[in-house]
Amino acid sequence: MLCIIALVQEFGLSRLMLLEVFPDSLSVFLAFIAVTRGQKNSTSFGFAAGIIVGVISGNLGLNMLAKTVGGFLAGYFHSPDDSHATVKQKIRRFYGAVMIVGFAANAVMAFGDNPLGLPPAYRIVTLGFLESLLSLLLAGIANWLFLRKSFAD
Amino acid sequence: MRKLFTLFFKYNALLLFLLYCSVSLLFIKLQNDNTFLKLRTSGVELSAAVNEKLVNLTRLLNVHKENERLMRVNRDMLSKVINIETLVGDERNRRKILTDSTFNASGFTMARVVDRKFSERENMLVINAGWKNGIKKDMTVLVPEGLVGRVTVVSEHYAKVMPLIHTDFKVSVVSDSSNSMGILSWNGGSESLAQVEHIPLSSHIKLHERIVTSDFSTFSIRGIPVGRIVRIKPDKLFYSIDVRLGVDFSSLTQVLIAPLKIEPEKVAIMSDSTLIEQIP
Repeated sequence: MLCIIALVQEFGLSRLMLLEVFPDSLSVFLAFIAVTRGQKNSTSFGFAAGIIVGVISGNLGLNMLAKTVGGFLAGYFHSPDDSHATVKQKIRRFYGAVMIVGFAANAVMAFGDNPLGLPPAYRIVTLGFLESLLSLLLAGIANWLFLRKSFAD
Repeated sequence: MRKLFTLFFKYNALLLFLLYCSVSLLFIKLQNDNTFLKLRTSGVELSAAVNEKLVNLTRLLNVHKENERLMRVNRDMLSKVINIETLVGDERNRRKILTDSTFNASGFTMARVVDRKFSERENMLVINAGWKNGIKKDMTVLVPEGLVGRVTVVSEHYAKVMPLIHTDFKVSVVSDSSNSMGILSWNGGSESLAQVEHIPLSSHIKLHERIVTSDFSTFSIRGIPVGRIVRIKPDKLFYSIDVRLGVDFSSLTQVLIAPLKIEPEKVAIMSDSTLIEQIP
């Protein structure tokens, strides 16, 4: 599943560009894993996602670090099974996790690779926020289509 | 020891995160290493191959648009090529006339043949020079190879030329060796053969002699080559002579127009005998 999402992201969604940023389906996936399965799983999945994306893009180490950080931070949005959180609460945590993963991953990438020569503050704050919003939109679509049932379960 | 294990289980997520970060940082540090370089090039190879397939698929879907675009490019380039080739051909012909060492084209007007009719209804040439270029009726039209014809109608930018190969065209000619004078005309038939009349049997005209325009002509300047004698047949009083014309009328592109030679006094004296009485 992770491989398919990574390939779709690299060869599909990365073409839907808006102001040099595009939605990140891996952020959505990591957020979902974080909310449903916990921090350890989201960190591991983040690491694996970073490897796949890094191999395809050619920037292995940085992508691994970015996705690992994103997955770890998203893990704080986990809803334990014994918390009796409602579906709505889980969905809210899920959206929060998406924002955090997108923002954190973008922040880590900004320090490593700057092909357009943009100021770091602009890249992290403005573009990071924009990318998170786009990912949030994608998360909303994913939730509406097929994730709602998983949260209900 | 127990506390250590407790601490480990409590913070295992954090420890896992730190482990992954360490590995990532190590990979960042070793990214210029040979193994990672090979991995990077393999990744680029894979990414490029997949992207190429996707681009080809997109191209396949847009093939109709691409075809239309290429057709437009083809059309534009074709018209440019035709224009350039025409210009090159015109320039080549123009230079051929101007650089002909046997002929001094200065003082002549150059024009291009833009239309030619050779049928039972009409037999004429149209050139792209008119009265704006100084062209007048009865001007001689020629090329270095020989006489072409005579201007008959002139408009602002164009002029009609009666070619030598017209049954109404006549010009006074002389042979360059024996100085035999005659009248050249065209009686139909081959475009490359004309006939010379009124050369008496007493003349010493020979085969292959060069025929040029004579000073007797009322419109043409003298010395313009016309052709060569290819057949001499004695008749009752005169020779019947065939001249192979020097001009290929089927491939005329550029022509020269000589300044007007009309000598009104000469024309008048030939047409009106009373003029002689007026001269003191």
